[in-house]
Amino acid sequence: MTRLAGVRAPHPGALVALALAGLAALAFGALLEAAQGRAATLALDAYLRRVLVFSLTQAALSTVLSLVLGAALALALARRRFVGRDLVLAALGAAAVMPAIVVVFSVVAVWGRSGWIASAMDALGLASRPDPFGWPGILLAHVFLNASFAARIFLDALARAPAEHWRLAAILGFSPRATFAHLDWPILRSELPGLAGLVFLLCFTSFAIVLTLGGGPGKATLEVAIFSALRVELDFARAAMLAGLQLAICLSLTLLLHWAVTKAPVAPTERLPAARPDAADPRLRILDGMVLAIAGALIAPLLLATLEGVLALPRILDADLADAAATSLVVALVSAGLACAMAIALAGAAQAAQARRRTRLAAAYDVLPALVLAVPPFALTAGLFLALRGHVSPAQAGFLLLPLVNAIGALPFAYRFLAPALATSAERHGRVCALLGLTGWRRLVVVDWPMARRPLAGAFAVAAALSFGDFGIVALFGGGELRTLPYLLYERLGSYRLDEAAAIGLLLVAAAFALSALATRMADADRR
Amino acid sequence: MRNAYPLALAALFGAALLPAPPAAAQERPTLTVYTYSSFVGRYGPGEAIAERFEASCGCDLEWVTADDAGSLLGRLRLEGESTTADVVLGHDMNLAGEARDLGLFAPHGVETGELDMPVAWDDETFLPYDWGYLAFVYDTTRLDSPPESLEALFTDAAGPSVVLQDPRTSAPGFGLLLWSSAVFGEGMADAWEALTPRVVTFTTGWSEAYGLFLEGEADMVLSYSTSPAYHRAVEDETRYEAARFAEGHYLHVEIAGMTTTTDVPDLARDFLAFMLEEDFQSLIPEGNWMYPANLPSSGLPESFEGLIEPGEAFLFDAERVSAERRALIDTWLEATTR
Repeated sequence: MTRLAGVRAPHPGALVALALAGLAALAFGALLEAAQGRAATLALDAYLRRVLVFSLTQAALSTVLSLVLGAALALALARRRFVGRDLVLAALGAAAVMPAIVVVFSVVAVWGRSGWIASAMDALGLASRPDPFGWPGILLAHVFLNASFAARIFLDALARAPAEHWRLAAILGFSPRATFAHLDWPILRSELPGLAGLVFLLCFTSFAIVLTLGGGPGKATLEVAIFSALRVELDFARAAMLAGLQLAICLSLTLLLHWAVTKAPVAPTERLPAARPDAADPRLRILDGMVLAIAGALIAPLLLATLEGVLALPRILDADLADAAATSLVVALVSAGLACAMAIALAGAAQAAQARRRTRLAAAYDVLPALVLAVPPFALTAGLFLALRGHVSPAQAGFLLLPLVNAIGALPFAYRFLAPALATSAERHGRVCALLGLTGWRRLVVVDWPMARRPLAGAFAVAAALSFGDFGIVALFGGGELRTLPYLLYERLGSYRLDEAAAIGLLLVAAAFALSALATRMADADRR
Repeated sequence: MRNAYPLALAALFGAALLPAPPAAAQERPTLTVYTYSSFVGRYGPGEAIAERFEASCGCDLEWVTADDAGSLLGRLRLEGESTTADVVLGHDMNLAGEARDLGLFAPHGVETGELDMPVAWDDETFLPYDWGYLAFVYDTTRLDSPPESLEALFTDAAGPSVVLQDPRTSAPGFGLLLWSSAVFGEGMADAWEALTPRVVTFTTGWSEAYGLFLEGEADMVLSYSTSPAYHRAVEDETRYEAARFAEGHYLHVEIAGMTTTTDVPDLARDFLAFMLEEDFQSLIPEGNWMYPANLPSSGLPESFEGLIEPGEAFLFDAERVSAERRALIDTWLEATTR
């Protein structure tokens, strides 16, 4: 929106932002209305305080570990070319979106008391047994999910580094240390606030992983208390208050992150494949080897553990499965499309605000997608349903809410893929566009599309895979026509059919892997 | 205020104006029954029940499912008077008070006669369709001598490890709180504190806990006394047993009721009556792996032979459960996080 000041139509991103804020307000409003004026008592009892302290510590630790490993992994992958590298990238994409219940059972299959590690220790005659429940399991699961995601995002960012920087580095004979300090770090740092905020929020609101792997009610999140207020106590006022508290905490932390880690400007002008001079450094070879080994040891077994489901695959192939897969696919495509559209609109609005030097507004657009995660999905769903009730039938509400809530859940992931690309595009072509008066849709198609196409594939894949494996809202409104694969997984788990549930889990992971591989291939085809 | 919501939504997404359901000619009335997912899944009795009921009712039976009993009531709470449910089937006795408080259930008016349950039944709103004892299941090849009482399980520091369900999110998990309250009374908090070191984890639901147990993560799992029957009948596996506890066992009773908002009350009542008849009850033992509330003339299947028979059966009335829920959970939270 760099037309003459004064005559500005609202940016589509502004509308999306308003819509999201409106939806959240609607959810809260409906909850409070349903509470029928019952006064909400939000006594921060001893237990809630303990949960808060634990949640903050747990989320902070998970975030730091995920980002450090993710960055190291991205650098190693940027420096190295090896056979199967594409597979590694696809695996990271699949790991990043693995459904919580599948992660939990994978952690147990590998690190549990009767898991692979325990069997290996047994074979070696060792008496001790690993115990994943408590801190180790929670951190392992969170790092597995989020380091994988961070690595993908960081790697994408590193690939956008301007080629002339690398030529300059080669001419000046940069040491690996100088290369990191002057070339890699500024890029990683520009991704940090958004990514850290997202990962923190994901861990802070993590539900099934923390509850099941935590080992006791002392290790829980606010989300558990909200869930319990909504479903067991049917105390909607308390649910709304707790959700408000969660939102407030997440909002302050996200803003703090943005304020503390200002975005370094990236001003690339030309993009050609460049050889990294530091790839030849022997010490870095060793370091990268170690990073890849560590990441491989953490991530690969948990992915491979899902292969145990292969045994029951023949038994789950029936009409139920075909129906559920088709429903999942439609929901995933719709919500991924919606998520990507919202992400593009928001990123565009952020760039437009940046161009007008309204940095605070730009930052607000930037944090919004992640912040939506702080609205508990249970509360969002319940609130939206209450708002719709009486106007559409419950079955219709399910069809409407499932793709919508899934899209909102996938939005921050899609945004992290797309926003940096659009930012780069704005840096490179923003002034030219301003000169030519190229705006809106035409600018998107002519200027931004070539830059955004690559990350869009990744964004769409991750959003579709996330939605594909989402269980949250189906738990409440699934059934009848609306049966998805995760719904089927829980149905089988509830009928003692653990093996069939594992097979469905494997299908979910395989779908995510395929989507991720496809996105990677499209990205590479574009690069050539 | 309420009228502003759809307008806002329509403006935001242009999607709130979905096509209305086809107003097809409805010669046959439809009975909508809400239940939990595994009841009508591939292995649940739901499909067969629908076929058998439709054979005589001149109606269509439509199952609508939520994930579990908790979601079922949560959904009903959200839908309120706009619910399309005629019958809700699948919450347990420990949620009966909360369910009744929704004000959505009508008296069933069904003459039950003598039921085959360890307790007498005189509830005017809800009818039971199956039941079982809460029990700790173990693998006989891994645990030689299981504890013989709930007290031994809770207080013996050298006792077996267990995987339990979180009472805030799970029906059997909350049932264990009531069981421990019935057995330990005032000493409940101390008992839980003694047990906590041997609790591998508290899961969100029964499924996750049972899965972790089958994966070998704990010596015992909180489940039902009928669980071993599943392994015998389906897997031909006899190594899983439930431990019989000397004090007695808490009952898990699954119930159903008809709504006040139903437009087919006679049909709903017919279904509740059908629920206690042979055609429905005979599908329960090996469909839902529980005891039928009204024993079919064919008796119990072979797989149910040799299951434990507890001495005393505990079941608090719904009002007491509702009244004590918060305090029990707080006691549990305090004891397990001490």
